[in-house]
Amino acid sequence: MKALMLVAALIGAAGIVLLAGMVVGIVPSNTVRLIEGYMPVQVIAELTLFVAGFTGLSYMMAAMGMVFPRFWQGILFWAFILLYLKFRIYPPIPFSVRAMYGTVSLVAIFMWVSANEEDWNKFKQPIMNVLDAKTGGKRLLRYAYLVILPILIGGFSYNSMVPKSEEPIELRTVHPAPPASTKVHGKTYTLQTSQNPYRTNLEGKYDQDYSNAMTVEQGMGRLMKPNANPWDKDAQGYLKYVREGGEIFYQNCHFCHGDNLNGRGLHAFAFNPIPANFTDPGTIAQLQETFIFWRVSKGGIGLPNEGFPWASVMPPWEQHLTVDEIWKVVLFEYWHTGYYPRTWD
Amino acid sequence: MKNLLGLKAGVVLTTAFGIILASGITAGLAFAADAALPAGFKKGDLSPEPSADMIEAGKRVYFTKCVWCHGVDGAGDGPGADRLWPRPRNFNQGTFKIRHTASGELPLFDAKKPVAGQNDLFETVTHGLPGSAMPSWEGILTEEQRLQVLSFVTTQLVKDRKFTDKQSESQTILQLGDLKPIPATEESLKKGAELIVEKKCVECHGADGRGDGNAFNLKDDWGFSIQPANWHKCWNFRGSRQDPYNVKNIFRTFSTGVNGTPMPSFADNTTVEERWHIANFVNSLCEREADGTPLSIDQLTDKPKVNFVLSSGVVLEGGEIPADPEHELWQKRARRIIAMGGQITHKPRNFVNRIDDIWMKSLYNDKHIAFMFQWDDRTKSVAEGKLPWGPTQVNIDVKEQDPKTGEEGSIAFRQNNYTVYNDAVAMETAVKWKDLPAPIKPRYLFGSNEQFPVDIMKWEADGSLRAFKGTGWDKDFEQRDNYEESSKLLFSEWKNGRWTVIIQRPLGNKKDQDYDEDTFFEMGQYIPTVFFAWDGHNGDAGRKMAVSAFYYTFLEPPTPREAYIYPIVIAFGVVLLEGWVLTRRSNKRKGKTTL
Repeated sequence: MKALMLVAALIGAAGIVLLAGMVVGIVPSNTVRLIEGYMPVQVIAELTLFVAGFTGLSYMMAAMGMVFPRFWQGILFWAFILLYLKFRIYPPIPFSVRAMYGTVSLVAIFMWVSANEEDWNKFKQPIMNVLDAKTGGKRLLRYAYLVILPILIGGFSYNSMVPKSEEPIELRTVHPAPPASTKVHGKTYTLQTSQNPYRTNLEGKYDQDYSNAMTVEQGMGRLMKPNANPWDKDAQGYLKYVREGGEIFYQNCHFCHGDNLNGRGLHAFAFNPIPANFTDPGTIAQLQETFIFWRVSKGGIGLPNEGFPWASVMPPWEQHLTVDEIWKVVLFEYWHTGYYPRTWD
Repeated sequence: MKNLLGLKAGVVLTTAFGIILASGITAGLAFAADAALPAGFKKGDLSPEPSADMIEAGKRVYFTKCVWCHGVDGAGDGPGADRLWPRPRNFNQGTFKIRHTASGELPLFDAKKPVAGQNDLFETVTHGLPGSAMPSWEGILTEEQRLQVLSFVTTQLVKDRKFTDKQSESQTILQLGDLKPIPATEESLKKGAELIVEKKCVECHGADGRGDGNAFNLKDDWGFSIQPANWHKCWNFRGSRQDPYNVKNIFRTFSTGVNGTPMPSFADNTTVEERWHIANFVNSLCEREADGTPLSIDQLTDKPKVNFVLSSGVVLEGGEIPADPEHELWQKRARRIIAMGGQITHKPRNFVNRIDDIWMKSLYNDKHIAFMFQWDDRTKSVAEGKLPWGPTQVNIDVKEQDPKTGEEGSIAFRQNNYTVYNDAVAMETAVKWKDLPAPIKPRYLFGSNEQFPVDIMKWEADGSLRAFKGTGWDKDFEQRDNYEESSKLLFSEWKNGRWTVIIQRPLGNKKDQDYDEDTFFEMGQYIPTVFFAWDGHNGDAGRKMAVSAFYYTFLEPPTPREAYIYPIVIAFGVVLLEGWVLTRRSNKRKGKTTL
């Protein structure tokens, strides 16, 4: 038991040191990378680890005779969470979201310190002590609070009233509802029934199982299957179309969506929001192939209002590519990210 | 037992240390013998050949990720190559830019040693080459995969040279780890400033280091157009290794040169000290905040962080907006970076935008608002003779780069051979933006339609300042009635690779301006704004241009009187609240004690 607690205490201490390093900027916040798509799980796992660590830490300290008051435990843990959200998580999350998480964790900490009458009394004891001011030091502290609190609150309200310019928050629907059908180069495609004509097996039949077996492997690197090289001279059917789609992608799309389809192309830095990251499980992995076909063909200008057509620089690709080229690019995007397109059923 | 083990380990360690020390001494002797080595360099050994397994595994990585630009044979001719500038590297000759090795030598690569400073190619793949299409592969490929793909490239795709051939190859390595940087004192910077003239750096990089010197005729080993680095944008340095303000990167590039380009190594004709002075000076030129701290770099894009609000400062008491950019009011005004990308939505698309940012400042008074545009452009471009189209024409005859042309027709080959048009900038603001329910705006490219038009003001290097109404990306502009008369070009100058242009326009009022055509600027409101830029030497005209995202122009209101009154009232309220809590507590305690 004690050894277990010791290990936990070490983890807790390491966590504090790491976070302190991140706050002062010695340790880069991406030391352990948050992996796209697994970020929430990773964050929760890390925090759980730290909770265990701090439990061990406080146990060890108590065992060594250094009892840490519950009051400060609560406050410091909350501070830890706030700092963690601000300095650990990269890319940074906006203040409004941090404020929300901060509030939730404050409530959680309150529930923890007020779990029973005894705990609650222990927690509020230091506050009462200051209010009662029975010793000289406490009295000094009380006067300090009396002076500092109004100044702080006055300062905050001044700060909030001075005119400031912050970018207005605009909440955009990333995947707006698609239309039932779309007309590209004079032909109408019904989204629910259309299929990618290049997702075919060697007999030329639409075959998603066949293509799924040839897509790149999931996991770090997302490399092609050893025996499914689209650049093989003898590549036929699906794999050949993947290569043709890739050629079109690297002549047209990578400028924004990037060489690794992660939305960080050459021009990405100029745009707001930055271009879609196809390797994120929240984009093409969530969508049907015909949805992508519609989005690619019609571009930003073809979005419904909730998709912010005015801000999207996504070209209506029907102006630049043929229908066949668009289908091949879509095919390539799924191949290169290793995702399977969603089906309608 | 434990102690014995410890002792043994100690002996082994000391022996190992002794061997290292001894070899160091012999190396030192060898070093002394070879007096021809440039200062700061040491002879090194060629790395062993990577294992066949590594090479085979690397092939798989190459044909998943790299082949698309670098091509099947590594000749830098993949499907993406013809629309890229800089063009993807041709590996066949074994010419690599960013190295720790002497000029002309192969870069450092060891498939077993992914160590910073000792493995140039690994670092290039890890951090990418900013300012080109080569991204950072860290976090995408594992360390192992990066070493594998490099094993494949160095053994199979580098064809004219061999990394392990002791007969033909040598490694003379810059000892960057052992050389201590000289602090960037004023004296060091002064020496650096003199040295860049003495060593003729300015001939290519320009008097102010904006890469505008001999910007025109430079070609790389393959005959592709190439341009000198702009020292003011260190985040675009190929060798910046995602650490653009680190002076060591500049020292390294200056010491080893950039193979395959006209940038030579200066190792033979400068001392180490001189090189630090130059590196310090070049580093000091990179754009910084007003207080001298480096700009914060966005880790997602490796470019400066962007704030999308352009706030305009008030000129009080009816003062005039100064026309001189050196005026105190302009100098003190905070600037904002506007990130620019190529217009790649509609034909003709601009795959290479040579203007990638604009620094903006803005001031307003009771009648006017002025915008100062400052951007780096290596060439001042004014079209010769009359342009073949009218100023309001949007749909003009400019061709976009074909996807597959071969080297001779590629974008990298054609740079600097375009017909020269005017350099220009424009800003587009939403008309009647108050009537649009936020966040709806007209479309970023010349407005949506007649219902959601935009107000466009365009300055061109021929000195013209024009006002247009835009009603769609493919609709020619409409000239506006009398707006040009009430607007004014306060200043325009091209100097040493940088344009400075100040445009003044009316704030807008219903008496003098047209509410249906002109944007009315109101204090404290967010006015949707887009910026456009054209580089005449890039053949930019019409829709072939650089564009920004939507920004907001925000006229800073003076601080209201309430901001001084209410906080005091609130603070007083808090004091009362404190008194109430304390009284209550002490009453309760008294009650308790009497009970």
